Amino acid sequence: MLEYTEKIREISQKLLKDSKVDMVIGFRKGTVPMMNEPTFIRNANEVGQLIWDSNCGINLANYLTGRKEKIGIVAKGCDSRNIVVHLVENKVNRDNLHIIGVPCKGMIDRRKIGVIYGEEILNVVEDGEKIVVEGDGDEKVYDKKDVLQENCAICIHRNPVIYDELVADLVEEQKDVDRYEDVRKIESMPPDEKWAYFEGLLKNCIRCYACRNACPLCYCPTCFVDESRPQWVGKSIDPVDTRTFHFLRAYHCAGRCTDCGACERVCPVGINVRAFTKKLEKDVKELYDWEIGLDPNVRPPLDVYKTQDPEDFIK
Amino acid sequence: MKVLKITKEDLAKGLDTLNKSFRLIGPVKDKDEEFHNFEELGQGELPDFNFRNTRLSPKSIVYPQSEKMFEYTLDSNDPEHDILIEVKKEPSPQVVVGIRPCDAKAFSLVKLNFDTPEYKDPYWLRRFEATTLLGLACHNPCSSCFCASAGSGPFNTESLDMLLVEEQGGYLAQVLTKKGEELAHTAGWTDEAGSDAQKQIDTMKEAAEKRIKSQISTDNLKNKLDMEIYEEPYWEDVSFSCINCGTCTYLCPTCWCFDVQDETCGNCGIRMRNWDSCMYPLFSLHGSGHNPRGEKLHRVRQRFMHKLKYYVDKYDSGIQCVGCGRCVNHCPVNIDIRRVCELMNRSEVCPVTTE
Amino acid sequence: MEHMGIEPGRLQFSWISSAESTKFVKVVKEVTETIKSLGPRKHFIKTEAKVA
Repeated sequence: MLEYTEKIREISQKLLKDSKVDMVIGFRKGTVPMMNEPTFIRNANEVGQLIWDSNCGINLANYLTGRKEKIGIVAKGCDSRNIVVHLVENKVNRDNLHIIGVPCKGMIDRRKIGVIYGEEILNVVEDGEKIVVEGDGDEKVYDKKDVLQENCAICIHRNPVIYDELVADLVEEQKDVDRYEDVRKIESMPPDEKWAYFEGLLKNCIRCYACRNACPLCYCPTCFVDESRPQWVGKSIDPVDTRTFHFLRAYHCAGRCTDCGACERVCPVGINVRAFTKKLEKDVKELYDWEIGLDPNVRPPLDVYKTQDPEDFIK
Repeated sequence: MKVLKITKEDLAKGLDTLNKSFRLIGPVKDKDEEFHNFEELGQGELPDFNFRNTRLSPKSIVYPQSEKMFEYTLDSNDPEHDILIEVKKEPSPQVVVGIRPCDAKAFSLVKLNFDTPEYKDPYWLRRFEATTLLGLACHNPCSSCFCASAGSGPFNTESLDMLLVEEQGGYLAQVLTKKGEELAHTAGWTDEAGSDAQKQIDTMKEAAEKRIKSQISTDNLKNKLDMEIYEEPYWEDVSFSCINCGTCTYLCPTCWCFDVQDETCGNCGIRMRNWDSCMYPLFSLHGSGHNPRGEKLHRVRQRFMHKLKYYVDKYDSGIQCVGCGRCVNHCPVNIDIRRVCELMNRSEVCPVTTE
Repeated sequence: MEHMGIEPGRLQFSWISSAESTKFVKVVKEVTETIKSLGPRKHFIKTEAKVA
């Protein structure tokens, strides 16, 4: 990861020095283990703050929405796909972007590591494919592949799909990945069991909207849950309202979600928010053979009408 | 002050007794969760003390996230139609077992706002008065805890009625208030500890305080002018990563803001209040469409200014933070109040650097 | 909706032109029959907000 960091700094410094961009958006080292903070650098002397490791799970495309400056942005596979979505949806101008592509090897799941380590974690060091955890208990070493974020473990687009330069050679993409095992499990449940599954999933939700706000797709000027004329959803923690928020938000992401996992990563109470969005991803894949965020020049299927669109669900 | 000695068995037995006359609330780890939260304990159910601190603060025990205040009917046949009628509910007496000193101290900070000479919040006060706080001293504070420099501490007794201090085989219990005495009496905890018990507690307290590695400095906050901090250039840097979610405010034991909502269902309806967050654009949106805190920089600044400056000035007290570390650990983008506090507190102006 | 536990058939879609009165009648009959056979709805009913 050290090479990545050095290269990101080198590229950013050049971009800022040559005034190719007004700012570079990347990550700086966090103040607690396994956390980094999205940041911007305007001054070429400050590129030393930029870093890269397996704790850069926040989707930086979220910080581009509506920005007008010339921006250099550090982008892993999913960030780059969300930049493509932004381009397709006219949320950002390609000419204003200099994309610093990062071939990604997956982000680690701080919650998962927290649970298996069991004690308070004081420091986490990456050593290639090994993750060394130091804390109140004994030092433990985990294989990175065992502690990846769930979405990273089943990721098939680790390389940036769009970039101006790369910080390293492209990595090998994961093959023969079963992306929808969890969705099929829910699909096979009888209705009452499905209902109970999602009831359990959302029981701790505090309606903080971290999932929505970390999502690069959720850029509506006023979200439907915040509308008051008319008020579509109640604002208390009534379970029906909470569920309405989650499933409608997922609908709004249908055919647009890149499964970057930001929603799940940021949830303060550990809800697997992707249980909603992945079903729609699977449906769009099966119905339209569509994967979002691969080509800025193709309109997504839910954006255009085609005579051969499936319509079996309409009587 | 009386110090009692309570064995583990006596604690369990006492709690069982208390559960008959009180709503008993304690830390519980849900089997599919990675964290503890305060939940109502069923008959025979014991709190799980094997925790650092709960994910959500216990503030909701006194101040629920959503709370009904009034009821109304729109049925014109009802003589009281279109009138808001206050929901009269006497909260049942409750005991919070195993609350950490930082979270208990938070109640005293919030009380300054909900219980003033001019205004009293009946909903908060009724619940608070019906609540007895049975604290659990912190022997192993987290690396991100900074309670000691935030006016609290691992053995702080503010707001507590009793404090349990774990020791070999059981607990030493400081009885701190009348409520605490009654609680001990009802629970049948009567064994007084030996004369050196207080000394023992003090030694453990010192050891726990030494374990706190993280601290903040707040000494300059009061003397600085509001505008001096308000206009600092670092706010852009501090607020950049913020996604404007409510995690920090909802997890915080000292955040108290709420929003009032009416919800009609058929002919009837309720007026309730729900937690609100200064991180949301909607929080300060005027009916005219104008938003005095329209940019995220304004909102992030507001949160820190309120906690670390306005509160200090208004109540002539310490900061509105107990150093529990929840926002530090769970902010999705790692905005760290300790770092912001250092920026706000530093006396000379120098360029923002983070490394 | 079905994925989160609403029974299949409770939510239906149809495309009926204003000229297709016979289709409209047929669809309404079918929908009512399906819904009746499913019985009263159990989930996703918003009554007074469940709050403290």
